[in-house]
Amino acid sequence: MLKIKNLKADIENKSILNNFNLEIKPGEVHAIMGPNGSGKSTLSNILSGKKGYDVSGEILFENKNLFELETEERAHKGIFLAFQYPLEIPGVNTNIFLKTSLNAIRKARGEKQLDAIEFLKLVKLKAKDLKFDEEKLNRQLNVGFSGGEKKKNEILQMSILNPKLSILDETDSGLDIDALKIVADGVNSLRKKDNSFLIITHYQRLLDYIKPDYVHVLMNGKIIKSGGPELALELENKGYENFN
Amino acid sequence: MEEQLKIDFEKLLENSNFSKKNVELKRKNFDNFIKKGFPNRREENWKFSDLNQIISKNIKNLSFYNDLSKPNKIDQSIFIDGLEHNKLVFVNGKIEKIEFDYEEKNKIEILDDLVLEKFNDVNNSLLFLNNAFVSNYFKLTVKKNYALQKPLIIYNITNKDLVSKNVNLKVDIMLEENSSLKLIEFSNDKSTTNFININYNFDLQKNSILKNYKIDNNSNSNIKYYFNNISQDTNSVSEIFLLSSGSEFIKNEINCNLNGIYASAFVNGVFMLNETKHHEIKTNINHLVENTKSYQLIKSVLDDTSKAVYQGKIFVDSKAQKTDGYQLSKAILLNDNTEFNAKPELEIYADDVKCSHGSSSGSLNEESIFYLMSRGLNYKEAKKLLINGFLLDVVEKITDSEIKNLIKNIMSLKQ
Ligand SMILES: Nc1ncnc2c1ncn2[C@@H]1O[C@H](COP(=O)(O)OP(=O)(O)OP(=O)(O)O)[C@@H](O)[C@H]1O
Ligand SMILES: [Mg+2]
Repeated sequence: MLKIKNLKADIENKSILNNFNLEIKPGEVHAIMGPNGSGKSTLSNILSGKKGYDVSGEILFENKNLFELETEERAHKGIFLAFQYPLEIPGVNTNIFLKTSLNAIRKARGEKQLDAIEFLKLVKLKAKDLKFDEEKLNRQLNVGFSGGEKKKNEILQMSILNPKLSILDETDSGLDIDALKIVADGVNSLRKKDNSFLIITHYQRLLDYIKPDYVHVLMNGKIIKSGGPELALELENKGYENFN
Repeated sequence: MEEQLKIDFEKLLENSNFSKKNVELKRKNFDNFIKKGFPNRREENWKFSDLNQIISKNIKNLSFYNDLSKPNKIDQSIFIDGLEHNKLVFVNGKIEKIEFDYEEKNKIEILDDLVLEKFNDVNNSLLFLNNAFVSNYFKLTVKKNYALQKPLIIYNITNKDLVSKNVNLKVDIMLEENSSLKLIEFSNDKSTTNFININYNFDLQKNSILKNYKIDNNSNSNIKYYFNNISQDTNSVSEIFLLSSGSEFIKNEINCNLNGIYASAFVNGVFMLNETKHHEIKTNINHLVENTKSYQLIKSVLDDTSKAVYQGKIFVDSKAQKTDGYQLSKAILLNDNTEFNAKPELEIYADDVKCSHGSSSGSLNEESIFYLMSRGLNYKEAKKLLINGFLLDVVEKITDSEIKNLIKNIMSLKQ
């Protein structure tokens, strides 16, 4: 599904990623752990098509060169990024944003757009699953949401858009224990044989709930070690300093 | 230009039957205008908008005499649909229709042929010009305890016959005690390069409520100046909303005197400008007695090489304790070549007051754009959503929900 080969990314002449390689197959869950500033969000942003990086190498998503696609085209193709810091968008009603987003993606995929009633039904259902206070959906997007509510809102969007590749950039940071469980359930319910996940986290705890197939350690711009879930435990014990 | 002014002024006197006293008054105004001329940037009030230069740059051979003897056709298609309303229609500065079908006739008084009665030494050359050339003016009085059933829309229409003319309009509105009026001023211009000079005087007596919405959103090459003078007695409320968008140049000057306790004034405005448009809002809110309140919120979205100016002044007299004055302006600059000037001014002579002001401008937040695009919206859609969101809270300030919806439609903010 996703093949990253020799990815190199610089920002303002500073090298962030270098010789970065990763392959994710359909249905797989990969976790990436790495110290602050190691380039995890940079990787997420590049996968979603954010501008402003000097990139080289190759990223294939379902055998299509991602560098040729605009951000919204990647979303249409099924790439979803749950932001580490979801943005507040004043004046934009959350429900209307969700509907606009869903219908833009459905339209691009040649699917029928949902009318207001169909949409509300869907949203109600998904919000209930995530124990997300529906009343908040009538507020401005993320404005006045708590940190955890913003993260939950990302997962709500994910479950509504039903992407093929979901990138969760530290979605667990800022979630309380119950919320963490709910979010993990949300992710697990989307786990299907052709939905893949890239989960960025600092904490082993999330991986107790969402069992990854692979864990990767990102340091100095590249993956320095890959392994199974046990790698996360090892990291938690040793820390990055004494890793290697 | 001075020669043209003189010729046109004599022509006006020749073709009208003003009384002797009236002619004298007009002459006095005329002489004052000749002395001062069009305002330029050397005047503090005009430092961001040099009208003299703007007129000479945009209008070739400006002339001042309008033959108002022949009636103009009204293009009915521009009337606003879906909102029952009373109408007052000006075409090229001439009143063409007065229609108050929804109102009790003895509760309002309409005069459409008033002439100047006294000299007003305001030191505003454009008012001198207006008083000199306006042929007759219009006055609406809403009687005590009467609230108009339906809004009044003043259509200010210019058609394509009008080219390089100066048009002067004067409208007085008197709201007697406990009365109320919703007034929409809707401009529609098919004319080219005229200088339109409009003077509104609002007299709000005790407990009266004025809601005034000015909509200028169809693109045209005219240069406009509005002088809105508002005088407010005890417990009266004025709510002004400006959509400043269509004309090449507009300066909206709002002078509001809060003369009675508990009087309050709200000025909310949106600049949506592109190309070479240049618009200004200049307010003088004068808190003259205690316990008065004013609130101003101006938001701008500027594209191409457009320019917006907001000069907001709050004056608090030494008698005006417990004044509550607030003003805020925010601008989004979509292009490096746009310009936004904000000059807030607080002049406070009382000590127990609550006054604040703030201003900010910046480009569209690219992070927000990326966020929206990562959810499948293209750049244009993301930009539009952000701009609409940015402007929404000003429009939400409109307290009449029917008119709020109308304005949302006009601004395509409807979701
Ligand atoms: N716009 C930018 N301009 C300059 N440097 C940047 C920019 N964005 C990121 N960086 C730098 O790139 C490096 C990688 O940042 P990134 O956000 O990808 O780290 P991260 O691994 O996500 O860290 P964290 O765990 O703290 O979220 C950091 O050193 C950061 O300071
Ligand atoms: Mg990060």
